[in-house]
Amino acid sequence: MSRSPDSKPPRGAGVTRRTFLVGAGVAAGGALGAAPATGLASTRAKQAAEDDLLRLDGPFVVSFRLNGKEVRLPAEPRTTLLSLLRHAADPPLTGTKEGCDRGSCGACTVLLDGQPVYACLTLAGNLFGCEVTTVEGLGTPEELSTVQEAFWKHDALMCGFCTPGFVVAVTACLNENPAAGAEEIRSACAGNICRCGTYPQIVAAALAAGARMQEGRR
Amino acid sequence: MKQFRMSYPTSVEQTLRVLAATPPAGDVRVIAGGQDLLGEMKDHLAEPDHLVNLARVEALRGLRWAASGELEIGAMTTLAAIAGDAGVRASLPLLAEAVESVATPQIRQQGTIGGNLCQRPRCWYYRHEKAPCFKKGGSECFAFTGMSKYNAILGGGPSYIVHPSDVAPALVASDATLTLRGPGDGAAAVRTLPVQEFFTLPFEADVTKENVLRPGEIVTAIGVPDRRGWRGTYLEVRERQSFDFALAAVALALRMEGERIAAARLVLGGVAPVPWRCAAAEALLAGRRVDDETCRLAGEEALRGAAPLDHNAYKVPMTKGLITKALRQLARLE
Amino acid sequence: MSERASERARGAEALTWGDPAARTFAGQDSPRVDGPLKVTGRARYTHDVRLPGMLYGAILPCPYPKARPALDLAPARALAGVVAAIELDESRDGGWTTYLGQPIAAVAAKTPELAADAIRAIGVEYELGDWCADRAQALAEGAEPVSSSGNAFVEDAQGDRAAVEAALAACDAVVEATYTMPVQVHACMETHGAVVDYRGGDEAIVYASTQGTNSVPGPAARALGLAAGKVTAIVEHMGGGFGSKLRFGVAGLAACRLAREAGAPVHLMLDRSDEFLCTGNRSGSHQVLKGGATADGKLQALLSTVQNLGGIGRGSHPGHPFIYEPAVSFHQPGYVLTHTDAAVPMRAPGHPQASFAIESMMDELANALRLDPLEFRKQNVSSEVYRRQLDRAAREIGWAEHPNRRGPPAPSVRPEKAVGIGFGLARWGGGGRPGARVTVRIASDGSVTASAGSQDLGTGTRTYLAGIVAEELGLPLAAVEARLGDSRYGPAGASGGSTTTPSLAPAVKDAARRARDAFFAHLAPILGTRAERLRARDGAILAAEDGAKRLGWREACATLAAGEIAVTGEFQAELADSGTHGAQAAKVEVDTLTGEVRVLKMVAVQDCGLAVNTLAARSQIQGGMIGALSYGLLEERVIDPWLGLAMNASFVDYKVAGIKDVAELVAILDDDPRERVIGIGEPPAIPGHAAIANAIFNACGARVRDLPLTPDKVLTALAALG
Repeated sequence: MSRSPDSKPPRGAGVTRRTFLVGAGVAAGGALGAAPATGLASTRAKQAAEDDLLRLDGPFVVSFRLNGKEVRLPAEPRTTLLSLLRHAADPPLTGTKEGCDRGSCGACTVLLDGQPVYACLTLAGNLFGCEVTTVEGLGTPEELSTVQEAFWKHDALMCGFCTPGFVVAVTACLNENPAAGAEEIRSACAGNICRCGTYPQIVAAALAAGARMQEGRR
Repeated sequence: MKQFRMSYPTSVEQTLRVLAATPPAGDVRVIAGGQDLLGEMKDHLAEPDHLVNLARVEALRGLRWAASGELEIGAMTTLAAIAGDAGVRASLPLLAEAVESVATPQIRQQGTIGGNLCQRPRCWYYRHEKAPCFKKGGSECFAFTGMSKYNAILGGGPSYIVHPSDVAPALVASDATLTLRGPGDGAAAVRTLPVQEFFTLPFEADVTKENVLRPGEIVTAIGVPDRRGWRGTYLEVRERQSFDFALAAVALALRMEGERIAAARLVLGGVAPVPWRCAAAEALLAGRRVDDETCRLAGEEALRGAAPLDHNAYKVPMTKGLITKALRQLARLE
Repeated sequence: MSERASERARGAEALTWGDPAARTFAGQDSPRVDGPLKVTGRARYTHDVRLPGMLYGAILPCPYPKARPALDLAPARALAGVVAAIELDESRDGGWTTYLGQPIAAVAAKTPELAADAIRAIGVEYELGDWCADRAQALAEGAEPVSSSGNAFVEDAQGDRAAVEAALAACDAVVEATYTMPVQVHACMETHGAVVDYRGGDEAIVYASTQGTNSVPGPAARALGLAAGKVTAIVEHMGGGFGSKLRFGVAGLAACRLAREAGAPVHLMLDRSDEFLCTGNRSGSHQVLKGGATADGKLQALLSTVQNLGGIGRGSHPGHPFIYEPAVSFHQPGYVLTHTDAAVPMRAPGHPQASFAIESMMDELANALRLDPLEFRKQNVSSEVYRRQLDRAAREIGWAEHPNRRGPPAPSVRPEKAVGIGFGLARWGGGGRPGARVTVRIASDGSVTASAGSQDLGTGTRTYLAGIVAEELGLPLAAVEARLGDSRYGPAGASGGSTTTPSLAPAVKDAARRARDAFFAHLAPILGTRAERLRARDGAILAAEDGAKRLGWREACATLAAGEIAVTGEFQAELADSGTHGAQAAKVEVDTLTGEVRVLKMVAVQDCGLAVNTLAARSQIQGGMIGALSYGLLEERVIDPWLGLAMNASFVDYKVAGIKDVAELVAILDDDPRERVIGIGEPPAIPGHAAIANAIFNACGARVRDLPLTPDKVLTALAALG
């Protein structure tokens, strides 16, 4: 699945939209309040119009689908998806871990419209109309996803802090291609770090999960 | 990250108007995928008051193949979309390999090709807020006398950064062009230039910048000509296989006539402040067979003028080694 | 039922791990009991603790090795949402900091973003001191003294230097070389920190990312100004420690001070960049070795001078000749201080450093004598275990089929992609010790809990806590709930030095046996038999002589109407042992055009007595191998000595091995006749990088004596060969 904004009308209700007055500087323009949602398809049709300019000048409410449910969460322009999940969501979704906050450890990997991204390098303002899936959305301790169960059975976790990120990265990889081989799995996990050193078990778990997913599809 | 305001225009024209109308120019930054800029902002290397976010500018996304075989890539096209494009994989392997070698899957998912070309240096000193180097408006290159393992051996001075992009050398070796849009109307507002001319050496222009982009101007598209008849590869050496910037990289494109090279494009990455085109080596390669002597001569020619600092002389043999490997690899292809 | 009763019931039966054939847990593969929580993101780490009214803390580290900061906290305090801003000056000397990254201020605010804003708002002027950021600066003439007694320290030497010099003179081959290793950091995925739940009053709960649950209450109480015993520590899950989280640490102490100042709970987890600078490290090392051997392959003499580079700490080193046994040796230990954070234990403290030097030296000597390095090693260890393990590792890695057994090919015939094999040995003491208490409860509703004030670092402690009890009571693993990471569960040592499992597992077994015996004593009259005739098997209690005398587990527990069985177990020396060996082999491919090294395969043969959970034990071995690979190929903390700035305090620039850096790993639990538990955290992390360095040499003749083994050094070494 590619991320096509055409299929994702922004659900912008609650966002402060302002009319941008050319040449009048950033302070110009009054809040229009909750403007009606505008699909990007139609947005493109009137690219020249100025009243579709989304401006985030301060605190706002971002609405998106989180683990299958519509949510509206308070944010600032600088708020990252990671902070949104761990601090603004109610209850907080702390399965997505903060390991570096610089897009270099992978502990905060989530699915954004099905694709793996670093939540710490994703701005809240980019999320209108998007679908976010975190590790909590993949399964529960009572009902593990295929990938989660394989991680458990293959001991692909030790301290477990990096594990949610790897589970999400492997899930994204196998959703694309359940027949992924070891090299493809390794490439899909290259943006995640495990300091305990569980890499071989992660590859084994992913191969096993892929095999089970293929059986399921047959 | 400091507080900032952010606008999401939906068209190029609107983007340019917002940029023109957001004073002062120094405090506004364009954000594409944000995979480098957000890190810079978190590290306080960039602290804009206003971001103009291109995420909703649909016109900048996507790959468009012309019937003539040319490819236009919107600047906001993600690296993952390029790497996943069947046409790119089939007919532009050099570009596909370079894009695949960028950072991590997660970064390629949000990072864009325009953003990749505009990313800032990875030099340790540049990335440390407390080191006031040339790149940050200071008056020194700390790498020149300091810890220069990852710095430039070619084209350096007064700053010795290397350009971190993997994609840029591949685009230069593909004779690609870049389209920039600036404020105003008509032809003056649009510039199309070879990718190579986008990048600037520290002593040629503003040392705090790596390219010719003007305030209020954005990259809109990359044009890749039809490369039928060419074969290409992108090779790099990195310390960490999982995720690293290149110690040295080679983008090589060859057009063969039988066993002889008819034309070559040889561009180095990771060794200079810009993607380093080796015109003399390209000329030398034309008409030659790929043999040990050719590899040796091409390497010598490409690295002519290399002036290593205290800790990066290794890049000379390493880059020569990469050139040899790339030539041998392409010569083996049918 | 009292403990006395169980004592009586226990009789004379010796406590052992039982008949291997009858075991249902120990010595077998068991997925972790907390696996489902961890793979679904439900495991709550300290970083994840959320409390009503909780503030978020942050620290300001001094970016220079030595400075006297003048702080203006007013701008931070003036920010809306900032509740506390304090100077941290208790460990400064006349206002001067003593190490790069030393926290100098801390703030607490309503959100993490506001806390970061507050840190930025603090006005600081740094008066820069003269500093020693590296060994060269520390040893330079006129260097700023790091301690009042100077910078270079020489400790008591061992051996007879003159005898060694004489023996060296009679050797057929003598190699003298300097081996250097940089500072490595633990880089735990969960940074250091704590959540201090204090709202005034005289009690507090401290959630901490720590290796020592019981190490927290004391220092936390002092920092909070509370009476000892009024602080409870909770460590449900912790995201890696590797030795760096044995003490409560600067982040936890700062959190306590902020909570005291604010009268509100404070969550303070370090930023990644801070984590790289103020949480301890593996000391770097500068080792000069001179070894000599005779043509018959006997290591005759070894002279060694070692300087640990552990910042303001002494660092660690086990001493040479480490594992090998020369006829005579002389070892001069010492250390050099710098203005960087103090080294702390890190996975086999000092041992990987010693291993790199001595294994390289052994290889250099073997090559000088054109001997097979495997045979040379076997000839110079006394333990048969090492010889067996080396042979096994050699077999797995394919040594017998390898063409370079007598050394690397000459440069003229060297392949472009050169393949080599190298070896290394490990040694670790470890072992169990008394102190931990484990409580097992059997309730009338059939539930069983096992609790201990220990903690699970990711080694699987929680799993064997449940598993050993389940095995003893004849129950499935899932029937026992394991509780740990709470100081109220009683004393337990901090997890360091591979001591947790040999200390705790025997206490678990003891508690489980006592619980079983107490239960049997209670059930015997009910079943009309003697307690010693009872067996617990397959979820039932039955009499050995008569299968009809049987109660299902729930039925049996229901007879406890009056209450529950609650017994406490302690360390039992006969269930634990100490002392491990270990042999590793690495196979690498060196690209001689570019200097790139790919590790193709690593093999570890590791003894550890009885592995309580073989699945977790193999994971632990592989984790150690990867740690050593990462140390060998990639890791190095870099500080620009002139600017005094940390150059690579991030996961981008401080390079930790990722999944693509690791190829095939073979972890073999060696056949170990000892039916006793020994820890296994440290030994597999000791020799891997040395084996890789030797494999690089074996492939192409490039001897790199300075970690990490990066392409630039390989190319430089190759160039020197011509």
